[in-house]
Amino acid sequence: MIAVAERTFGLLALLAILIAVVTTVALVRRRVPDWLRDDVALPLATAIAATATGGSLLLSEVAGYLPCTLCWYQRIAMYPLVIVLGVAVARGDRDVWRTVLPLTTIGSAVALWHIAIENNPAWGGPCEDAAPCTIIWVEEFGFLTLPTMALVAFVAISVLSLAARRP
Amino acid sequence: MTTPTKNARTEARRKEREEQRRADVKRQRLIYGGVGAAVVLLAVVIAVLSVGETDDRVGVSEVAGDVEVDGDTLPPIPDGAADPAVGQPAPVLSGADFDGTPMTVGDGAQLVSFVASWCPACDAELPLVVDWLTTSGPPEDVQFVMVSTNHDDSRQNWPPQDWFAAAGYTGDVLVDDVASSAFRAYGLTATPSWVVISDEGGAVPGLGHDRPGPVRHPGRAGRLRLRRSNSSDHGRRLGGSVSSQAASLLGRST
Repeated sequence: MIAVAERTFGLLALLAILIAVVTTVALVRRRVPDWLRDDVALPLATAIAATATGGSLLLSEVAGYLPCTLCWYQRIAMYPLVIVLGVAVARGDRDVWRTVLPLTTIGSAVALWHIAIENNPAWGGPCEDAAPCTIIWVEEFGFLTLPTMALVAFVAISVLSLAARRP
Repeated sequence: MTTPTKNARTEARRKEREEQRRADVKRQRLIYGGVGAAVVLLAVVIAVLSVGETDDRVGVSEVAGDVEVDGDTLPPIPDGAADPAVGQPAPVLSGADFDGTPMTVGDGAQLVSFVASWCPACDAELPLVVDWLTTSGPPEDVQFVMVSTNHDDSRQNWPPQDWFAAAGYTGDVLVDDVASSAFRAYGLTATPSWVVISDEGGAVPGLGHDRPGPVRHPGRAGRLRLRRSNSSDHGRRLGGSVSSQAASLLGRST
C-alpha cells in the first residue's frame, strides 16, 4: 500500500512539474488564459497543498517515516497553505498570492537546502541524530525524493497563485 | 418610456441569464472537479499497475516467524532519562532464524540489534556491522544476534533474508512474528535499536554494562560521514549511517 502511495505521489509530482512549467510560460508571456486565471488556478493550488499535506501525514503517521527537522520546517510552510488557499477559493480572493508567496519562498528555500544535504550527506545539516536529514525515505523515478516533491509543490502553488491575480 | 410589462419581460430575461450563468459555472466546476478526480484516479491506477509488476514476492506471513515471549514487557524508553529496564529481567524470546533453526534471545550475555530491512538507517548500518563482525566482533562469550522485525513486504529490501545475504551477514538472526512481538516485548519504538543483555546478573565485559538486566539503545541514526553506493531499486544515497549508540558500543567492544 505504501509503495503504491509513494508511486502515486511521484506521478502527481510529475504532473505538478508540468503544471508549473506551463503556468510559468503563460505568466512570462503574459497570456494567462481566462479559464486558468478565473476558475482553475486557485482550486488547483489548494488541491496541491492538500495533497502535499495529506501525503506527508500519511508517510509519517501510517508508513512510519520519521520527519527530520527540515521536514518539519517544510511542513510549517505547507500546512497553512491548505487553509489560506481554501479560504481564498471560497471568497474569490485573487490577492492571496501576497500571503502565499512568503510561505512558499521559505518552504522552497528549506526544501532546496534539504535536497542539497541529501546529495551531500557529509554536510549533516541541523537535524537530530534520531531523525537525520540525510535519510532518503522515498525516491521515485530516480530523482523525486520527499523534499524534491515538496519543492515542486511549493513552486507550482506559487505560480498558480500568481496566475490567479487580477489581469 | 418602458411599460410595466416590458420591465417584467426584461427582468425575466435577466433572471434567466443569471440562472443560465449559474448553471454554466456549476457545470464547469463539475467538469474541472471530474477531470481532477480522473487524473488522481489515473495516477493511482498507474501506480498500482507499475508497483504490481514487480511485486511477485512472498508476503509477510510467509517470512515472519513464531516468537514466544517469556517474561514481562519492558517499559518504554524515556527520552533523555535513564533506562528503567536496567535491573529488570530481560524477556526471553524463543523463535527461529529464516531456516527454522531455533534461536533464543534474552537467556545469556548478548548484544542484540533489532532491525527492519526497509528502514534506511538499518540498511546503512548493516554493512558497517558486517565489517565490525569480520574485523573484531563482540567480546568473547557475548553472542551477537540480529532480530529481523517490523516486516513490511510493500517496502524496499524485501524479503529480509535476501537483504541480510546481500550485505554479507551470515550471523544469528531471530525472525520476529507478524505482530512484532519480540520488538514490542523489549519496549522498543524505532529501528535500529540495540540491546545489551547481561548474563544472569553479571556484567557484559567491554560494553559498559555493569548492572544486571538489559540496557537498551534506541534507534538513533548518527550523522552520516561515509558515502556508500547502494544497488537497491530505490537507489538511495544514504551515506554510511550507524546509530550513535551502536557506534559507541561497537567502538567500546573492540
